[in-house]
Amino acid sequence: MIENHRQRLHALLAVNGDHSIGALTRICSVAVLELQVDGAGVTLVSRAGTAQAQQRLVHASDPVAARLEDLQLTVGEGPGLTAVTSGAPVLVPDLAAARARWPAFCPDAQHIGAAALFAFPLTLGAIALGSLDCHRTTPGPLSPDHVACGLLLAEMAFEALLAEVAGRAPDDVGWISDIHAEVHQATGVVSYQLGISVQAALLRIRAYAYVHELAVAVVARRIVDRSLLLDTEN
Amino acid sequence: MEVRPIDDDRLLETFVELADTLTDDFDVIDFMHLLVDRCVELLDVDAAGLLLADQNGRLRLIANSDEQVRLLELFQLQSDQGPCLDAFRTGTRVSHPDLAVAGGRWPRFAAAAVDGGFAAVDALPMRLRGEVIGALNLFRTNAGELTDKALRTATALADVATVGLLQERAIRNQEIVTEQLQTALNSRIVIEQAKGLIAERLGIDMGGAFAALRGYARSRNLKLSEVARAVVAGTTGTHDLLGTPALTNRSKM
Repeated sequence: MIENHRQRLHALLAVNGDHSIGALTRICSVAVLELQVDGAGVTLVSRAGTAQAQQRLVHASDPVAARLEDLQLTVGEGPGLTAVTSGAPVLVPDLAAARARWPAFCPDAQHIGAAALFAFPLTLGAIALGSLDCHRTTPGPLSPDHVACGLLLAEMAFEALLAEVAGRAPDDVGWISDIHAEVHQATGVVSYQLGISVQAALLRIRAYAYVHELAVAVVARRIVDRSLLLDTEN
Repeated sequence: MEVRPIDDDRLLETFVELADTLTDDFDVIDFMHLLVDRCVELLDVDAAGLLLADQNGRLRLIANSDEQVRLLELFQLQSDQGPCLDAFRTGTRVSHPDLAVAGGRWPRFAAAAVDGGFAAVDALPMRLRGEVIGALNLFRTNAGELTDKALRTATALADVATVGLLQERAIRNQEIVTEQLQTALNSRIVIEQAKGLIAERLGIDMGGAFAALRGYARSRNLKLSEVARAVVAGTTGTHDLLGTPALTNRSKM
């Protein structure tokens, strides 16, 4: 069932505009259609949860989504930022009832025209890249199916961001949700070996898989059983 | 074969602990580890694991009593086939007292289980009324049925844990439950990342790394996922973990 869901979303992403349009732009359009929301935006965050946190708006499907992302950036709080630091979706069916949680964000968000906001993190364990934020102009919850769909789209956005930096490995589609733990363990191993962040370590593993045309899981397994050592060069 | 009697005082204590899910710092991962550890401690089983379904209906490993690599593989396999998946789908207990002859039903699972040294398996659904949220998996190295008392006890433990989780849902709301489950799934990944880092830093295997992480969290009464996050962020140095007693008791790999 999950695979059907994923395949359908991939098909939708493929028909939704040509490839000169960025993947994140297409993901936002598909999110609007599939989750039946009024707009979607993606903001990338670096050094999430620290005083040096920096945000960069990447794409918004409409002016309201753009202003919502701007607002989170300005006040330094909001469901999207909470999702990035917690690594879990933040589902707010009624912003009016969430003022205690985000006192600076909620009133202005409502003023901009949003009534509900559903934020899906672009995260993998301790690696946090940003969030996919979907809003509605009327209050009300997302159905469980829509939540499932939002989580898949966030996974796809995460994959797309890594592919942009490190190239596309043979098993790129859906490897994030691979239940095997080796890729995460390998990330920790490489992070210590090379003295780099887990995010940078994952990119190195991905880039190695891409260059050598190997599945990410295969490279990860070799790192964990210590038959492959990534050095500072490759 | 001699069956170990169940320690009733310890069992009672476990029920009380499993019912205590309304604290502010309730943590799904620590809660599920409590369940699997007590199953191994109290019942005549050699290893236990707990799988919960994610938002997309896939079973994912949340807690396991033992880090043996072959055992982990058995839990992971069950997103495709195996007793846990069957228990989750049907909402009923699935047992196999002799895996050596279970080949027909789950060929890959049975082969991997026998290969890992296991002879019998029981999977109990985590179920409350119509809702099934996952399954508890019990492995034994000796073939044969679990005793009635052990089965009833395991079922009661799984039920109390399920009520504990779903009671949260009734009291709070669906959104919070989704956030909590996804947080647990993501925390599990942070734990794996931290294990890799610790294993490489200390030159030990993944099982030893997990034991160190866990020993440290327990001795300081911290959440496992918090310690893992601190290790990845570099705020808890891996050398801090060295002093933990668990590390001297390295798990097999």
